[in-house]
Amino acid sequence: MPFVCSLPPLRQTILSGLLLLFAAGIFVPCAPAADKLTIYSGRSERLIKPVLDAFTANTGIQIELLSSGTTELVNRLKAEGDRTSADLLITNDAGSLELARTAGLLRPLNMREIERAIPSQFRAPDNAWVGLSGRFWIVAYNSTMVKADQVKSLLDLADPKWKDKIAIPNSGSEYLQAGVSVILTTYGEEKTKQFLQGLKTNADTQVYQKSSQIVEAVAKGQVALGIVNHYYVYRHLAAQPEAPIAVLMPDQQEGGMGAIMNVAGVGIVKSTKHLDSAKLLVEFLVAKAGQKLFADLDKEYPLHPDVKADPALVERKSFRAALVPLTKLAELREPTLALIEQVGLR
Amino acid sequence: MSTIRQQLASPLQLLALATAGIILLPLGYVTARALSADRAVWSRLWATRIPELLFNTVSLAASVAVITLVLGVSTAWLVTRVEFPGRRLWEGALVLPLAMPTYVLAYVYSYLLGFAGPVEHLWQLVAGPQARIFSPHSYGGATLVMALDTFPFVYLLSRSALLSMNVSFEEVARASGVSRLSTLWRVTLPLMRPSIAAGVALVILYVVSDFGAVSLLRYQTLTYAVFQQMTGRSDNTAASILSLLLVGLALIFLITERWFRQRSRFYQTTGRYRTPQRHRYGWLGTLAVTGYLGLIVGAAFALPASLLIQWSLSPEAQATLDSRFFGFVWNSGVLATSAATGGVLIGLPLAYLASRRPTMLNLSCLQAAYAGYVLPGPVAALAVLVLFTRLAPIFYGSVLILIVAYVIHFLPAGLQSLEPALQHISPNLEEVARTLGLGMRDTWRRVTLPLVRNGFVVAWVLIFLQTMKELPATLLLRPVGFDTLAIRVWMEASEEYFQLAAPSALLIVLLSLPALALLVSKDWRAA
Repeated sequence: MPFVCSLPPLRQTILSGLLLLFAAGIFVPCAPAADKLTIYSGRSERLIKPVLDAFTANTGIQIELLSSGTTELVNRLKAEGDRTSADLLITNDAGSLELARTAGLLRPLNMREIERAIPSQFRAPDNAWVGLSGRFWIVAYNSTMVKADQVKSLLDLADPKWKDKIAIPNSGSEYLQAGVSVILTTYGEEKTKQFLQGLKTNADTQVYQKSSQIVEAVAKGQVALGIVNHYYVYRHLAAQPEAPIAVLMPDQQEGGMGAIMNVAGVGIVKSTKHLDSAKLLVEFLVAKAGQKLFADLDKEYPLHPDVKADPALVERKSFRAALVPLTKLAELREPTLALIEQVGLR
Repeated sequence: MSTIRQQLASPLQLLALATAGIILLPLGYVTARALSADRAVWSRLWATRIPELLFNTVSLAASVAVITLVLGVSTAWLVTRVEFPGRRLWEGALVLPLAMPTYVLAYVYSYLLGFAGPVEHLWQLVAGPQARIFSPHSYGGATLVMALDTFPFVYLLSRSALLSMNVSFEEVARASGVSRLSTLWRVTLPLMRPSIAAGVALVILYVVSDFGAVSLLRYQTLTYAVFQQMTGRSDNTAASILSLLLVGLALIFLITERWFRQRSRFYQTTGRYRTPQRHRYGWLGTLAVTGYLGLIVGAAFALPASLLIQWSLSPEAQATLDSRFFGFVWNSGVLATSAATGGVLIGLPLAYLASRRPTMLNLSCLQAAYAGYVLPGPVAALAVLVLFTRLAPIFYGSVLILIVAYVIHFLPAGLQSLEPALQHISPNLEEVARTLGLGMRDTWRRVTLPLVRNGFVVAWVLIFLQTMKELPATLLLRPVGFDTLAIRVWMEASEEYFQLAAPSALLIVLLSLPALALLVSKDWRAA
C-alpha cells in the first residue's frame, strides 16, 4: 500500500488505526470464548432474553443472541454448515425445528432430564429438538365489536361478512404456515384454498409482520378480529387490562378440528463446540423452574406436566387441540407453501 | 501489443479487474439463478405476485415523482428568485430531510397518522368522533413519507440549475413584455428541464430501492417482496426472480437519469454570470412563503425530529441507554468505518485508472462498479450471500461478507466524488513534478494526494453515512452480536415501541447532520 506509507505521520497513524479496526471488525466475533453460548433465536429478543439472563445469572455462562426470522436462521445454519458459531437454535415453530433436524443440523440428545420433563409428543423422536412451551393459534376479537358466539371456527374468518374486518400475519410467518398445514391435513386442499382466498380478500391490506401489531389493531378497534398466537393477547392484557380484546378458542364445536397448537422449542446445533454448556441450558429450560419462567414470561402453556400455566390463560383442560402431530409439520411445509403461493397471500 | 502486456502486468490493473469482477459476479449469479429457475415458478409468480408488485412499485414511484417535482421546483424557485426575510435560513433547512432515513420518517408517521393517533384525534374534534383519516399503512402513506424524504434531491438540482442559469434569457422575455408567470412557464422551466428530470429520476431510483419505509408501512413493493421471500422461504429462487425484475426496473431509471444528466450539459450557458434578481415580497407574500416552506420543513424534519427528542427523553427510552446501547453505537461505527475505508481503497484504483489510462477496459471496470446502484439492499444481500456460499463459504456469517455487501452497494456513491476529484487534476501537474526530479512516491504524496484529498474525504463520509443508515442487507447478513443502530430502530419500530426506537433514530439523524453539511457544500448527489 504505497500511499499509506507516503502519508504524513499523523494521518498514517489514523489510517493504520482504521485498517486495524477493519481487520478487528472481521476477525473478533469469530472467536467465541469458552464459557459463552451463541444462540440463534427465531423468537423476538423481548420474549427470550429475560430467561437467558436468568440462566447466565445461575451459571455464569454468557450468551450471545442473534434474533431474526426462524426460516432465515434455518437457512443460515444450512449455509454455514459446520463453520457456524451457533450452539443452539430456538424457534417458534416445531415445523422449522423438524426441518432443521431432517437437514441434519441438530444433534440428537440422550438426556433423561428431557424425557422426564417433556411429554414425547412435544419433542423429536431422537430429542434433536425439544418443545419448551405450547401456543395456540386463536382468534383475537374486539369485544365491543364482536360477540364471542359470532365465530366458531378459524374457517369462519373467510366469510365475506368479515371483509376489511380481520387482520392476519404475513405468509412468511412460520406459525401461519404451520396453521395452514394443519388445516390442509384436516380439510384437504380444495377447502383450504377457499379458506385462504377468503382470508386474503377479507384482510386485504391488514397483513402484518408482527403479531403484536395485530393485537394492537384489534384492541384499538381498527379491525374486529385477528389471527394470532394466544399469548400476544394476554401480554397485551397484562399491560393494558382495560383493553376490549379477548381470546376466542376456535374449532371447539362438535366434530371441529380443535385449536391449532404449535410449540416453541430448542435444539442443539450439531457442530457445537460447547456441548456441555448447551446441555446445561436445555436442562435449565426443561426443568420445572425454567419451564415456569419460560412459559409465564410469554403467557404460554408450559409443556412440563407438573408446571401450571399462568392463571390468566384459558384452562388448558377446557379445550381440545388439533390432532396433527408436530413432526408432520415439516413434511407438510412444501405443499403448504405451494398453496399459499398459489393463492398469492402476501 | 507491448502496451497491452504492460497494462495487464500492472498490479493496479489486476486490482481494478478483480474489483469489477467481485462486483459483477453477484449480479451474474442472481441473474443466472433467476433465469435457470423452473418455468413453473416464473408462471406462478406471474399469476400471483408480480403484477401487484410491479403495479405497486411503479405507481408509488410515479406519485412520489410528481409530488417531489412540485415541492422541489417550487421551493427552489422561491429561495432563488424571491427575497424575503429568513431566505438563507430556509435555503439550508430544505436539505435537512436528507438526514432522516426513510424508516425513521415512516415510523414517526405511522404514529402520527396511525389509528387513534394524534392527527386522528385532532380531526375527530372537527369532524365528529367517528371520523377516520387515511391510514399511513397504505399507498397514500408510503407516498407521503417517501416524497417528504426525497424532495430535497429535486430541490438541490433545481436550485443549482436556477443559480447557474444565464438570467439574460429571463430578462429578455420580461423586456419583450412577457408576464412574470409566463416567463417562468415558457423560459425558466424549459431551461431547468434536464436538471429536474435528473432529480426526479434519482428520486425514483431511491423509491424503487427503498426497504425501510415500505416495510414499516407494509406497502408491498418489489424490494420489500425480495426481503420477504428471503426471510420466509427456504430456497431463494423466487427471491432471485423478483430481484432480477427489480434490477431491470432500477436500470431503466438509472439510464434515464444518466441520459438527462448528459443532456443537461448542453444547457449550460457561458454568458457572464450575474446573481439573478430576486423579486422582493411584501409582508403578505412573506407570510405565505414562510408558511409554505415552514409546512414542508416542519412535516419532513422539524416535527419528526422534535418527536424523536421527546421520545428519547421518556423514561422508557432512557432505560435502554445502557452498555448494550453503546455496543450498538460501536457496531454501527465499526461497520461504517470498515465499509467506508474499504470502499475508498477499492474505488481509488478504479477511478485512478479510468481517469489516467482511459482504455476501454479501465472504463468498463469503472462502469461495472456503478452496478451497485441497481442492486437494492436486499438484492445486494442476496447476491453476496449466493456468491459467498458458492465460492468462499468460510466467510459466511462473518463481518467480511457484510462489508463486501456494503462496498458493492455504496461504491457508486463514493465513486461519484472520487472520479471527478481525480479527473479535475491535470496529469500535467504530476508530470511536471516528475520532470522536476520527484520520485513516483513523492509525486503522489506532495502533488496528487493533497489535490484529491477533498474528494476522498467526501467519498469516505458518503459511504460511512450510507452504511450507518443501511437496513436490509444488515438485517440479512449481520453476524452474531452485530446489531446496529439502524437494526434497533427497525426492530423496535416494527413492533410499535416508538419510544424505545427513538434514541437510536435520533443518534442516526444527529450523526448525519454534519456529514450532510459537508456533502451539500461539496457533492450532494448521493446523499
